[in-house]
Amino acid sequence: MSDEPGDEELAEELRRLAAQADPVPTLLVQAAIDAFSWRDIDAELAELVFDSVFDTDEATLVRSSPDRRMVSFKTPELTIDVEVSVAVAGTAAGVEVASAAPGRSVMGQIIPPQRATVEIRHREGGVTIEADELGRFQSEALRSGPMSLRLRPAASGERPAVVTDWISI
Amino acid sequence: MEDADIARMVKAAADGDKAAWQAIVERFSGLVWSVTRAYRLGNADAGDVCQTTWLRLAEHIHQINDPARVGAWLATATRRECLRNIRVNARTVPTGDVTWFDDSSATGNPTEDAILESEGEREAAQRAIAVRRALGRLPDRCRELLRVLMASPPPSYADVAAALDLPIGSIGPTRARCLRRLRQELTAGI
Repeated sequence: MSDEPGDEELAEELRRLAAQADPVPTLLVQAAIDAFSWRDIDAELAELVFDSVFDTDEATLVRSSPDRRMVSFKTPELTIDVEVSVAVAGTAAGVEVASAAPGRSVMGQIIPPQRATVEIRHREGGVTIEADELGRFQSEALRSGPMSLRLRPAASGERPAVVTDWISI
Repeated sequence: MEDADIARMVKAAADGDKAAWQAIVERFSGLVWSVTRAYRLGNADAGDVCQTTWLRLAEHIHQINDPARVGAWLATATRRECLRNIRVNARTVPTGDVTWFDDSSATGNPTEDAILESEGEREAAQRAIAVRRALGRLPDRCRELLRVLMASPPPSYADVAAALDLPIGSIGPTRARCLRRLRQELTAGI
């Protein structure tokens, strides 16, 4: 099927209408520009290798429930398993939640197990928590939105920090 | 922006050039936004998807295989994030806001009508409503494709194909068919 005369005009009219009625919100353009400043060029990237929302196998079906999402990030040396769940006010796995708004809570496990300082980078800036000697860490309630972890293993010495891919929680 | 310019921008941004990054955002933020709308995300979800996609690009920009194809990279990342969002939200309460694009019940807005000064403006507003209604009557496939194509500046067919996970060769013919359908709807339904 070939283009009919007038296709270009109609397509341009649609573009004009969308630009008027549904433009990219200015705040989002600014957020996209600001995304560059989150870059940590010295850190090693732990890539998202598993997301229970997409990668469902038998093991996942057993482990994950609708309100729990499992994601894994990997570098050649480290695996970071994270469980994201909906934090219901006051019941976020024993953590007191001040706000009534449903937030997200993040529980993680570093493998091999080790102490680390974990910065949870998200919309409101960052929260720093400590992973215990078994490599476990847990956040308080977070607002939903983009999130990434920045880890500095206690025994890392001169090694760079590790940052995970961004995910939306 | 030609492919070679885009590739240059990506390489410059990977080296830390903020102005180059901003140029990439200006070139492709319309595409990313349009993809979220093609997948019918409301404002809050679309905002999360856009932000996550751009943050992800910032982290990966130095390792993109084919810098000239960063648009397709973004379109793919946005599509995946939209699908993830849709799957997660299928279990929660919908946000309630509809996108302009999906509001097929669009009617004239009396307040707006009253402040339209000239006849020309009134005609333009009526035409906009007619187009919006006609879009609302198209099959999903056509609405999705046209919404991505409506991005400013115009996306390449490669970017559109990545956004909708369609073969690139199908974009041109499907576009022609969908525009024809739209034209029929515009003539038929006033």
